[in-house]
Amino acid sequence: MATAQSDHIRAAIQQRNRRSRSSRIVDWVRTKPEGGIAVLFLAVQLVVIAVSLANPSFRYLDAANIAVTLKAIAPLGVMALGVSILMIAGEFDLSVGALYSFCSIVAATLTMTWGGDSGADVPSAIAPFAGLAVGLLIGALAGVLHAVITLRFNIPSFITTLGAMLMWKGATLLYHGAQSLRFKPSEPFNTLFNSSIGVVHASMIWFLLLAVAFYFLLHHHRLGNHFFAVGGNRNAAVAIGVNPVRTKIIAFGICGFMAAFSGILAGTRVMSIQPGGGLGLELQAIAACVIGGAALNGGRGSILGVVLGTALMYTIQDLLLLLRAPGFYFDMFVGGLIVISVITNMAIRRKG
Amino acid sequence: MSDLQIIEPEEKPIKGLRPTETPLLEMRNITKRYGAFVALNSMNFYIGRNEVVGLLGDNGAGKSTLVKMMSGINPPTSGEILANGKPVNFNSRADSEAAGIETIYQDIALVDQMSITRNIFLGREITNAFGFMDHKAMEDKAIDILGSAVQISGIEDPDKEVGFLSGGQKQAVAIARAVYFKRNILLLDEPTSALSVRETEHLLAYVRDLKNQGTSSVLVTHNLYHAFQVCDRFVVMSHGAKVYEARKEDTSIEEVTYHVIRT
Ligand SMILES: Nc1ncnc2c1ncn2[C@@H]1O[C@H](COP(=O)(O)OP(=O)(O)OP(=O)(O)O)[C@@H](O)[C@H]1O
Ligand SMILES: [Mg+2]
Repeated sequence: MATAQSDHIRAAIQQRNRRSRSSRIVDWVRTKPEGGIAVLFLAVQLVVIAVSLANPSFRYLDAANIAVTLKAIAPLGVMALGVSILMIAGEFDLSVGALYSFCSIVAATLTMTWGGDSGADVPSAIAPFAGLAVGLLIGALAGVLHAVITLRFNIPSFITTLGAMLMWKGATLLYHGAQSLRFKPSEPFNTLFNSSIGVVHASMIWFLLLAVAFYFLLHHHRLGNHFFAVGGNRNAAVAIGVNPVRTKIIAFGICGFMAAFSGILAGTRVMSIQPGGGLGLELQAIAACVIGGAALNGGRGSILGVVLGTALMYTIQDLLLLLRAPGFYFDMFVGGLIVISVITNMAIRRKG
Repeated sequence: MSDLQIIEPEEKPIKGLRPTETPLLEMRNITKRYGAFVALNSMNFYIGRNEVVGLLGDNGAGKSTLVKMMSGINPPTSGEILANGKPVNFNSRADSEAAGIETIYQDIALVDQMSITRNIFLGREITNAFGFMDHKAMEDKAIDILGSAVQISGIEDPDKEVGFLSGGQKQAVAIARAVYFKRNILLLDEPTSALSVRETEHLLAYVRDLKNQGTSSVLVTHNLYHAFQVCDRFVVMSHGAKVYEARKEDTSIEEVTYHVIRT
């Protein structure tokens, strides 16, 4: 089928491929959801690095400072990966913060019960892994439950999961109470999730591995294609033959799973769990996705965007700490960043 | 109350023609209700081998409802669907795909946020055994597909997001997709609403040719001249029921026009 039209398209593609690298980068920034954030992220890093090179008392590039940041990113990043998949599929889960607490407390309690505390006489090596597995399973099943209720009764997931958020928050207090819970799992679990290679904390490595896996899932797997389709135009997806119910159930399940993993990662690192520790994280995770170019109404977003969005939020937090600014500045900056990044993304796209 | 007058519809539902051989697809006694509203009322419809059926009628007559039902995305409230004489359930797109049916929907059915290539292959991605997509193979195919049915100028990049295309370009993508994957039956629900005169002629000629290659079509249109150019049989609907049916050789454009506008 070598028609004139096909030849014309091939010629046009060849011509585009011959253009200079710089104009192709401009195209990338314009058309990709993460284009704006990538530029912003690089600009911030360049400025801050230049300042800290010129001014050694600004300790941004100190190994200790870098290590602190790399320790902190993973929990929010892991949660945001799951949230982004669900947002792209056109739904929300506001209960991920509550699930983060509930699942990590269940995992930690079971680890203790099964003799996996590192302080035990003969600590069990597998108990923490069993606790982790149960925690992750609860997270995934909770996500599926939210999906089934949302889809069965055809109500906005915002409402379902607003209810679920309060439910899981209450369930945490019912199961454990309000006091903090010690979590010092035995080896090798502890090394696997709470050691460092140089300045890089284990949790960061888990985050990056998951980000790569999610990148392939979302951008190169058939299922990822279906997430974009049901989130972008549900009716069209149905008409063409994508099952939106199945697709969304999977997205909810992934999101709950990641919330649980995020909570357990955080608990392992700080070696104790606060029952209220996850509150507000759901909004930070949504913020990271939006800063990274995800559309609030579905169909658009990218994994690189989520990673950069999370990293930018922690860069700002780190800078404010280095400047000894009070904590409330962080909220103010992130608030501004959300609005600015959406405005920039829209402006770039309209030009494109 | 006694002076309440029952106004009979001017035209009564009719049984219409009967297929002479086993049709590719047959809808028998189909009723579709949306709550109390009856969108299709005891509708009978069939698509035979090597024919183009014109499905005509006023706005809201139920044409798209019937087309969506034959595409599997709008199951009937009651009635029977037979593919090649065998009763089938049409509960999802997968069911109609199995029967070899492709549809160009009236509302285009493309995902604006996705590229042309991804739209063309949505639900039929070319993947390896693990489900990972072969982007290169899909793009190569997409370029062939875009050149096959209608030739719309300005489509130069299969990687472009569909949301940036013009109305006609979008329609061309939807047409190209259906035309490429069609097997037994092609359903065209007002496929030329956004096309130029030249591309409309192309598409109509293409539908006529398809018949000889063994693909039957249903053409939904408000343009009776187009219908007369390509269709072998006409079905006129009104208020969810069939009110007129005739083969081309047994009728005239005036007669069909009369039945479309009088209802
Ligand atoms: N989901 C729905 N819920 C309620 N009513 C519906 C629904 N879908 C269609 N209808 C109604 O069914 C009737 C038939 O609609 P349909 O789209 O089949 O008309 P049509 O013949 O294709 O008209 P047109 O030529 O304007 O495209 C209309 O009155 C419409 O309002
Ligand atoms: Mg219609």
